[in-house]
Amino acid sequence: MAPKKKEEPKPAAAPPKPPEPERPKTPEFDPTTITLEFTPEQIEDFKDAFQLFDRTPANEMKITYAQCGDLIRALGQNPTQAEIMHVLGKPKAEDMQTKMLDFDQFLPIHQHICKAKDCGTFEDFVEGLRVFDKEGNGTVMGAELRHVLATLGEKLREDEVEQLMQNQEDANGCINYEAFVKHIMAS
Amino acid sequence: MGCGMGKSKLQLKKCERVSLSVPAATAIRAALLIQRWYRQYVARLEMRRRCTWNIFQSIEYAGEQDQIKLYNFFGFLMDHFTPASSERNLISHIFRENEICRDTEWERYFCYKDIEVPDSYTGPHLTFPMTFCGVSKLVEAFKHKQQLHARYVLQLLGETWRLLRILPNINQVSACHTKEITICGDLHGHLEDLLLIFYKNGLPSSEKPYVFNGDFVDRGKNSLEILLILFGFLLVYPNDVHLNRGNHEDHIVNLRYGFTKEVLGKYRMHGKKILKLLQKIFSWLPLATVIDHKVLIVHGGISDTTDLNTIARVDRHKYVSVLRPPKPTHHAVNGSKTQMMNNRNREAGGLVEGRRRVCSLTYHSSAPAYKHNLPRRSLHNQPTSSQLNWSVEEELKRRRRQAGFDQSYGELTKSDSDSDPESGETTETDEHEWKQIVDMLWSDPMPQNGCSPNEVRGGGCYWGPDVSEEVLGKHNLQLLIRSHECKQEGYEFCHNRRVLTIFSASNYYEVGSNRGAYIRMGPDLVPHFIQYQASRTSREFTLRQSIGWTERSALRALKEQLFVHKSDLISAFHEFDPNNTGLISLSHWASVTEKVLNLGLPWRVLRPQLVSSTRYGMVDYHQWIRELSITEPKLEISDNSILETMYKNHSNLETIFRIIDTDHSGLISFEEFRQTWKLLSSHLKTEISDKAIADLAQSIDFNKDGSIDINEFMEAFRLVDLSAHS
Repeated sequence: MAPKKKEEPKPAAAPPKPPEPERPKTPEFDPTTITLEFTPEQIEDFKDAFQLFDRTPANEMKITYAQCGDLIRALGQNPTQAEIMHVLGKPKAEDMQTKMLDFDQFLPIHQHICKAKDCGTFEDFVEGLRVFDKEGNGTVMGAELRHVLATLGEKLREDEVEQLMQNQEDANGCINYEAFVKHIMAS
Repeated sequence: MGCGMGKSKLQLKKCERVSLSVPAATAIRAALLIQRWYRQYVARLEMRRRCTWNIFQSIEYAGEQDQIKLYNFFGFLMDHFTPASSERNLISHIFRENEICRDTEWERYFCYKDIEVPDSYTGPHLTFPMTFCGVSKLVEAFKHKQQLHARYVLQLLGETWRLLRILPNINQVSACHTKEITICGDLHGHLEDLLLIFYKNGLPSSEKPYVFNGDFVDRGKNSLEILLILFGFLLVYPNDVHLNRGNHEDHIVNLRYGFTKEVLGKYRMHGKKILKLLQKIFSWLPLATVIDHKVLIVHGGISDTTDLNTIARVDRHKYVSVLRPPKPTHHAVNGSKTQMMNNRNREAGGLVEGRRRVCSLTYHSSAPAYKHNLPRRSLHNQPTSSQLNWSVEEELKRRRRQAGFDQSYGELTKSDSDSDPESGETTETDEHEWKQIVDMLWSDPMPQNGCSPNEVRGGGCYWGPDVSEEVLGKHNLQLLIRSHECKQEGYEFCHNRRVLTIFSASNYYEVGSNRGAYIRMGPDLVPHFIQYQASRTSREFTLRQSIGWTERSALRALKEQLFVHKSDLISAFHEFDPNNTGLISLSHWASVTEKVLNLGLPWRVLRPQLVSSTRYGMVDYHQWIRELSITEPKLEISDNSILETMYKNHSNLETIFRIIDTDHSGLISFEEFRQTWKLLSSHLKTEISDKAIADLAQSIDFNKDGSIDINEFMEAFRLVDLSAHS
């Protein structure tokens, strides 16, 4: 009985249903249904950042689909890949580099992501890692973490995993995950 | 007790479960969380990296633009002032490129034979003809920071000059003998990168052919050593080592970007001769290399008018500086299209949002008609009696009084600069040729179709994927390899992998800013990349650390730029602060700063790193300027505005000094100093009083003997960023 109870709270605290972060059978993303709630100041900030990703020398204020996710994240949100694909209208892989988005198309997308609940906090992140803390001593095995990140969920590439873990493991291959989380969030 | 035992047993069981297999759902959820956080972390780093990159690149290109503007100004002086004017004389010698001198006379001038190598010399001795051993020895010597004696330098350069004269404009290379070809991009005086390439890839030889794609010099400290090594290998393996000319193989550019200074610093006695010989060598460098008729390698790129057949036919050595258009010879006074050096007078025609624009060397955007009424310089048939003796100052005063230009303006007589190459009447062709060469050395690719003037750099154009297809198709080529732009990873494809940029100077902007790369290509003509980064320390940085390092450096450079423009900034801020509260809104702060600095940077994104605090969304701009923490040297100068002019025009000033210092002694007289300021002030269209100039000279006459050491002067006015030392 007790073990069962312990298991229950976890799913509730986590983002909606695993493995997909969104409920199945979600209707297609319709930008026209989004009301923009940003302040003019925020919009100016977004414009500046948008221009940074705009690689058209004529400054056409356009970015590729592939850059959309990066821009949203750079502005402080952290959607999953699936959420990004959803707001982009589930584009084909080859469209990601060629199809462009202008600033007006970007705003409702960004708004939708901003509104999505649960961006995750320091505690969530630590909780997520605690799962792998076998001995309950505040550390996780680097090897296990690498394995998980590369094979589960929205897999990271090997070089991405390397970059994430660079200089984090101690001599025994263990990572103190609270420090790790602070490191990630510090930028 | 029992319960306690039971509990710990349960806990143990839970742990075991976790160690054996975390429930899949939990693990996946945890993974997703970490992954999305990681992606955010990377995206934010990428944003910072882009900002930093933009800062460095804008400042770099602004410098190039400045240089071109300055050069245009000189061209204007040459074209429009009498030979009698002293100011013109100060600078006319830089245009004295094709003096009426036969090669044999030049050979005599450059002769090394009278230069003795003293017994005390501990550097390498060269014997000619050069051998592989000889060049390897040279490489070793440079590795050990030795300096080659001027005699050998001149001898080696002389041989190089002779060889280059028989090379065609376009090198034709074959990869079909199962020999892999190595292709390197910009080196910019980074000897450690060249040595790293040789270490990883091997020295050039007939088994190991190399192509070096221009920009060997400027910025780095060992431009001359790189040249000597490359020329050495060229002499030994003329069929297997190929050099392309870059936009920095140009004595005018070198005045600003450090190569001239380097040579004069290393060779006090013979530097001038060495520089002159290098001028000739640069003009004789081939313009392009083609591998197996399929791969085209040029330094900058192409344009919609690029035609390799035209390029193959030009007299490339006519273009001693690519910035200088061919002289118009017979010409109607109101010649319309052939306006070349008219750009200075058009103040960066209209800001397109966020981008600096200056009219480029070869493109003429539509300008009001009156500006085309400048009298063209004509070499012949100008009656001497109409020679007018305006002094420069009078001219400038007149010009400042007028909004535009007046046709009664000083007519010119025959110029004593540039000799006539031939009595060419084909000025149209000359200009067409010239544009092709400029395009080849200065252009950059863009993602959009089309072809437009490269107004950020001031020369060449931006060309699109359609132009790549067209030009490559026209010549039956499959790939264009070019350099000219620094790339994070050392290389980058674009235009559907039809265009490849290769850049070989690692840590170009700053330690850790980028990797360098080179290409290996076999008979299949598929490029393979090898990347590297000189300097051990940077390799050990994490991504975050190396971005942080570079970012700090970029911000320092940016703060300096902000500081030197502080008067302009403050007066512009005042316009939005009519009640003199000292506060300005964030939006205005961003738009004003962009307007004044004109760097096309994302100020709002940079704001957290530039402005420490805001009050209710407002910026206290006086405080902000103070907080930039830049100190200027303490000097007793009555007129502060001259100081600000100096900081803003640090490079321009240095360039003019070096031009004026005709004997390359590093010293100029007070009178020359004064003339420099007069020139600068007319270029900038500002007033600088004689008293201010005198004060300035007084304050820095370190030698106290009436002459001013250029290097000391420039150092004395270097700005110091206090925060750098914290």
